[in-house]
Amino acid sequence: MKVLMFGWEFPPHIAGGLGTACFGLTQGLAKNHVDVTFVMPKASGDEDQRKIKIISASDVELDTRYSDYFQFHKEISYVEVNSRLIPYVGLDDYFNVINQKESGLLEDVKVTEKRKYLFSGTYGANLMEEVKNYALVAAEIARNEDFDIIHAHDWLTFRAGIMAKKISNKPLCIHVHATEFDRSDEFSRNEIVYNLEKEGMEAADAICAVSDLTRNIIIEKYGIEPSKVFTLHNAVIPHQKEVERVEDVPYKIVTFLGRVTFQKGPEYFIETAKKVMEYDKDVRFVLAGDGDMMNRMIERVAELGIADRFHFTGFLNGEEIDLLFGMSDVYVMPSISEPFGISPLEAMRAHVPVVISKQSGVSEILQYAIKVDFWDINAMADAIYGILHYPALANFFAERGKEEVNSLKWEHVAKKLKGIYASLLPRN
Amino acid sequence: MRKICFHFQISQPYRLRRYHFFDINKHHNYFDDFQNSYLVKRLADFCYLPANKMFLDLLKKYEDISLSFSISGDSIQLFKEHAPEVIESFKELIATNRVEIVGNTFSHSIASLYGKDAFMHQIKKQEKQLKEVFDVTPVSFCNTELIYSDEIGEWLAEAGYKVVLTEGARHILAWKSAGYLYCNPFQTNLKVLMRNYNLCDDITLRFQNKSWEHYPLTADKYLSFLNNIPHDAPYINLFMDYETIGEYHTKESGIFDFFYHLFVQIAERKELSFMLPQDVAKEEDSVLTIHVPWAMSSSSDEKDTNEWLGNELQQEAFEQLFKLENLYKESKNENAKMNWLRLQAADHFAFMSTKWFAETSVKRNFDVYPSPYQAFINYMNVLNDVKLQLEKKK
Repeated sequence: MKVLMFGWEFPPHIAGGLGTACFGLTQGLAKNHVDVTFVMPKASGDEDQRKIKIISASDVELDTRYSDYFQFHKEISYVEVNSRLIPYVGLDDYFNVINQKESGLLEDVKVTEKRKYLFSGTYGANLMEEVKNYALVAAEIARNEDFDIIHAHDWLTFRAGIMAKKISNKPLCIHVHATEFDRSDEFSRNEIVYNLEKEGMEAADAICAVSDLTRNIIIEKYGIEPSKVFTLHNAVIPHQKEVERVEDVPYKIVTFLGRVTFQKGPEYFIETAKKVMEYDKDVRFVLAGDGDMMNRMIERVAELGIADRFHFTGFLNGEEIDLLFGMSDVYVMPSISEPFGISPLEAMRAHVPVVISKQSGVSEILQYAIKVDFWDINAMADAIYGILHYPALANFFAERGKEEVNSLKWEHVAKKLKGIYASLLPRN
Repeated sequence: MRKICFHFQISQPYRLRRYHFFDINKHHNYFDDFQNSYLVKRLADFCYLPANKMFLDLLKKYEDISLSFSISGDSIQLFKEHAPEVIESFKELIATNRVEIVGNTFSHSIASLYGKDAFMHQIKKQEKQLKEVFDVTPVSFCNTELIYSDEIGEWLAEAGYKVVLTEGARHILAWKSAGYLYCNPFQTNLKVLMRNYNLCDDITLRFQNKSWEHYPLTADKYLSFLNNIPHDAPYINLFMDYETIGEYHTKESGIFDFFYHLFVQIAERKELSFMLPQDVAKEEDSVLTIHVPWAMSSSSDEKDTNEWLGNELQQEAFEQLFKLENLYKESKNENAKMNWLRLQAADHFAFMSTKWFAETSVKRNFDVYPSPYQAFINYMNVLNDVKLQLEKKK
């Protein structure tokens, strides 16, 4: 079985969880004897190609004499979008790692019949233009490659997937890692992105959703026929190195890590902190990450008079995150809407007990975690207090949680996906 | 003639409310009064009252019929508070002289898994209550969830009991049959009646199971089951939760008709005779010893104690609970003391079980916690306050 897969990023150069998920999935497929050709806007050449073939869309020559090129070119209207485009909800704050200058490098290399597009492969200002051109290149690739199935990750690549399907008549499977409903509230929702998502979902023969939560959004908010939407939970790539516990921390530390935006529920973390601190003087709360709600959160902490024991770290890099996990006694993810949410798994892998909101996809697959409603501050406070004060519970989670995370393997996810692929192929 | 022994258990606990850590040392009302009242009233209406009425009719109609009950002290307290008519209705049953009230722990406690003192205290408290409420002195004993071991048997013998009801666990009986009368190896005067759990599960678990080959279960069919077990074994012991009638299986399932006709058929056919646990107290012939070196129970398939003490959380809660035993003895805070006893209920520990996350056991019907962890946290919060209260009035 051969799969033509469209992604936006691939390790080692990634901005968030999407690339990691794509990497895990392709490795898992390789173990299940599925050949993957992975297309991304701009490969750097240092990607791990031992198990899959990588095509950089920037290197693809386009033959503009094909008529569908022009037709498609007309179909896609050029749209300039200035919104918070976060294709995958991960740990990092993308906009801090993206070199904005690098984007907008969309240029014609040759102006003849053959033409190349140069992609930045980031999430910058010219994103919509890149999405469009990526689809054009996809058509060219689909014409030349040999494959049985098309698989496209998130809305950025849906058009590419649709184009490839049009050219090849092969079944299209799209993978939804997040929807516009997870990225925005009702006031900032981006109509163009929503429409691109809906278009992809409607054109797809099968849709993989990263959680039941996301599956329900696809069915209810996008009006998609339930029978073609499958839940395919993420897994974890085995960790290379163990996170070391930091000893001699004079305080108990409760951690929030993620973008400080509405969807992540940082304000619930703060209100909970207030409750716990009133009864426990030896605890510190740490809010790590940056985002558009940062100032409001700092103000709220000052207002509650807990600033002496509540710390903002700002954006943290990978090493700093490991250090923080090594010091943490509880990890809290109070997300209001989280398609999956990989960060609790990272915490559990570092032996940190986790309290997560029921409104997260990851809560569907975890047993060794305390799950509360994001708005239920009392329940969240009880859970945190319980873990801090009843050592049996903390030890229980530290041990079992790690085992549980280690059992979440991409190999198993890919096996399920292979089954979905098989159902799309004509029976011979 | 072979003998059949029916025993029904009632063990409603005081269920805890959501008790937050910020309630500790501020509020001492740990119980969900609404829930407790609601459940007891519902059970009274759906199960205890109509079932008692059915059995009273049967007892009046057939003089051979007899049956036994164990009612935990907490259940009696809950009846007093929310459904006193249940107590009156049991008094009517007892007045027939063919209904035996069997001893048990006061608060459906798992103290027998901890130690002699705590267990004996529970027993004595319950005996006192049974004397006051029903004017009976039990000679038979049915421990919480049929928990039993040789050692527990010795304690019971010391407390004056003659008969104990327990599980016919396969790993204990091996090739032996639950249909014989056994005795404790060290206290041979203590008779051990062992439950035929397959026959009980046919009713409690499978009565409404449409994929079961014997569905629908009728009294006639059940009698044929009874007939099919080897006739040389003289006893058939059927012990089950009283809630089986009307709660686990609602009236609409036909459970009342089933039991009614079962009792009528047994009484009329005269192939089996009804027996009470106390009837075997003086039995001396053909009594075999049974060794139970480690505690067993009626819990799921394993018949062990893992449902209450299977994980580290349960063990921690258990340890912290019984650490307060001396404090309990010294304290004069009667309210706190009562609450300490109530925290011993098996139910609290079962809610912390992670044995099967999606537990299908019937007891889970009453589970109010979103997860075993929240059950643990809530319990520990309450326990911490009880400890503070016990300490205050030494």
